[in-house]
Amino acid sequence: MSRALTWRAVLVWAALAALPALPFMSKFYLLLAFDALLFGAIAMSLDLLMGYTGLVSFGHAAFFGLGAYATAVLLERGIVSLWVCLLFAVLVVGLYALVVSYFSTARRGIYFALLTLIFAEVVYTFFRYTQTFGGSDGIQGLPAPSLAPGFAIDTPLRNYYLVLVYLGLAYLVCRILVTAHFGRVLVAIRENEDRARFLGYNVQRYKMAVCMISALITGLGGALYPGRSAFATPDLMLWTVSGELIIMVMIGGLGTLVGPVIGGAFFVLLQEKVSSYVDWYFIVIGLVLIFIVLFMPRGLLGIRGLLGGRRWRATA
Amino acid sequence: MDYLVAVLLPQLLHGLVFGAALGLLALGLTVIFGLLGVMNFAHGELYMLGAYAGIAVIGLTHSFWAALVVAPLAVGAIGALTEVTTLRPLYRREPLYGLILTFGLALVFREGARQIWGGDMRRILPPFTGSTPLLGMTYPNYRLFLLAAASVLLLAIWLFFTRTRAGIVVRAAVQDAEMLDGLGVNVPRVFTLTFAGSAALAALAGLLLAPIFTVYPQMGVEMILLAFIVVILGGMGSMGGSVVAAFVIGLAQSLLTLWMNPQRVAIAIFAIMIVVLIVRPRGFFGREGVLE
Amino acid sequence: MARDGVVLEIDSVSKSIGALAALSSVSLAVQAGQIFSVIGPNGAGKSTLFNVVSGLHVPTRGRIRFRGRDIGGLEPEQINRLGVAKTFQITNIFPEISVFENVRVAAQSRVRESGRLASLWRLPDVEGAASELLQAFGLAARREESAENLSHGEQRYLEICLALATEPTLLLLDEPTAGMTPGETREATALIRRIATARGLTVLLIEHDMSVVMGISDRIAVLHFGEKIAEGAPEQIRNDPNVIEAYLGPPDA
Repeated sequence: MSRALTWRAVLVWAALAALPALPFMSKFYLLLAFDALLFGAIAMSLDLLMGYTGLVSFGHAAFFGLGAYATAVLLERGIVSLWVCLLFAVLVVGLYALVVSYFSTARRGIYFALLTLIFAEVVYTFFRYTQTFGGSDGIQGLPAPSLAPGFAIDTPLRNYYLVLVYLGLAYLVCRILVTAHFGRVLVAIRENEDRARFLGYNVQRYKMAVCMISALITGLGGALYPGRSAFATPDLMLWTVSGELIIMVMIGGLGTLVGPVIGGAFFVLLQEKVSSYVDWYFIVIGLVLIFIVLFMPRGLLGIRGLLGGRRWRATA
Repeated sequence: MDYLVAVLLPQLLHGLVFGAALGLLALGLTVIFGLLGVMNFAHGELYMLGAYAGIAVIGLTHSFWAALVVAPLAVGAIGALTEVTTLRPLYRREPLYGLILTFGLALVFREGARQIWGGDMRRILPPFTGSTPLLGMTYPNYRLFLLAAASVLLLAIWLFFTRTRAGIVVRAAVQDAEMLDGLGVNVPRVFTLTFAGSAALAALAGLLLAPIFTVYPQMGVEMILLAFIVVILGGMGSMGGSVVAAFVIGLAQSLLTLWMNPQRVAIAIFAIMIVVLIVRPRGFFGREGVLE
Repeated sequence: MARDGVVLEIDSVSKSIGALAALSSVSLAVQAGQIFSVIGPNGAGKSTLFNVVSGLHVPTRGRIRFRGRDIGGLEPEQINRLGVAKTFQITNIFPEISVFENVRVAAQSRVRESGRLASLWRLPDVEGAASELLQAFGLAARREESAENLSHGEQRYLEICLALATEPTLLLLDEPTAGMTPGETREATALIRRIATARGLTVLLIEHDMSVVMGISDRIAVLHFGEKIAEGAPEQIRNDPNVIEAYLGPPDA
């Protein structure tokens, strides 16, 4: 366990746990913090794919949205146990991820980008135009999920701690993966997929595994979302959301795990500030992506410098 | 028999027309990917810009034909500029960066068009109207022109790639980009010109199809998704495969519209792709030995 | 199971690529512990032969048997796991990680957890095996360097290290000395011979450099336009008129 967890990480997590005690943390800021941590965790799971394996998923929002819809569908019917919702989300997202990852990993990396995009578009189209799931309005007015009978996650504070636990667990899982045999093979696949095959690695199996793990972490994040928002809509699965997830990873720095968490949080906070300029929003996003790729591919926030070491090349 | 002629036949022709335009689009993608190693996510936006550039030119000159010449050139220039400033630095890097960059470009182009021309649907009027009696039905003249134009273009491209020295070099390089260096070719210039060429082609397709479909900033998104499916089906790196697959998808789309609403058609096309991938993972003409 | 000590048996293998007959009914057998070279002018089909054996291509006709087992049509990773390791003519390493990490990940492919669920959390210890290989090829001093920063010759050695890390029985070397200086070539040749003997490897070698071929081979096969035109001990091949003609063209009439 010590190879996965540093004292620094524990301290940061503890500081985050103490955050609600600060005087200015109103309900609004708690919800904002929720979003920041949630998307931070999702961006981190995307980093497993992008930073470590070199696979860009242009359809990651679909995993998120499916998780949200899975929970929403149960909540709508009065099944409010959070555990049941999470389990159902795992099943739904897992099944979808199995199919997507099977087809997208069968060939070289570019197919992954194309097929994740296409699959996500189909999923979006399906939910947008299917009345059973509320069509373009989605499923609204949901009750809060409960951890146990009588203990509902119905305040921003409770939601916040829920997502904090989720982030902590997701981080542990990612760190263990990345420092294990698995993580090193992912890096090899990123560096030279063909060579890895000729060295005896069943590359597709590894790619499928990392895709599914990333998808499940993202899907679980999605499953937590209706508890905070009380709705699930097709807009959660838009390709623009997938693009935003990619930005989060790029901002924080590919292949660092922690970077994308910060990148995700940073992006959510930034988005909040910039939301009034909705008109230019997508142009700004596009320009930011272009700028980062051209001039700061290691991450906008220079996370590598802050945290030290050759994180980008690190296999352990 | 009446049904065949009155409904099925026109739909078949629609499919061929659409397939030809889709083929032009997919061909551009395939060539760029094979040559530069970049999957151009902004290709659909170049298609869209072609239509809008056409609107701009028509606004100034009131001539569709002028637009047909100027718009592709303008978008080709945009393509060249884009390639030199943003893509060139990325060739040495991992392919992941090129994907993200073109994705960002797509966003900028798409929203930029929306800012300049607004999000409303626009129309370009076909340069001529009327229909011609054909095989027992009448078919719109403009669509016939479109079919002819697209076919001529595809033929011209085929001739370019098989008969001209430049074309043969580029085609060989699409199969094996490393050999270009050894031939003493000015590689950066070939890259820029090819990219500009594919952009111009996309723009032309966009403008030609505009009088049939409406023009709006998102119009490139649907086309690019179909183009991606075409490229996957045709087998990466196979230009002939892209064209064949484009016609297949064009026809499938057209015929399925007779029986399903647009959303179901999209899902059906997707299902076709899945079935083909299961039965023939390499696509129609994918090459063996490339560790696909 | 191996039959009469024959490690690799290529039995009337033909391979067509499009309209081109890259290989036409080529047959040869490599004995255990041999260093067997395949030579021939450009375009003779040598690389195609390697590609067919290593799994990149499927033979159009004929059979390939490794230790008695038919491997034609298997995936490259399956063939490697059976004990066939290939090096590439154009250096094909993992560029942005260190030399040590390169060899380490290659060695990891043989641990028990590889490809299994346990690989998600276990960290196998292959440091020793990796270090040993680097030592054998004189790369130990460069172990922390990014692989892309190595000199050409060093990268060719790294190529071989990667292949050897997978503990093969049969080593396919595709022009291992390509691009090396004469001095480096001599060293490399001696090194390959030493290591092959020490580890009891069987080696199938493609080479252009005649001095390497003549110096190192136990047996040589000559390909020309996809056909095998000669096979035998180095002395026989050196004096074979067909071979000379293939390389130098027909004798002046």
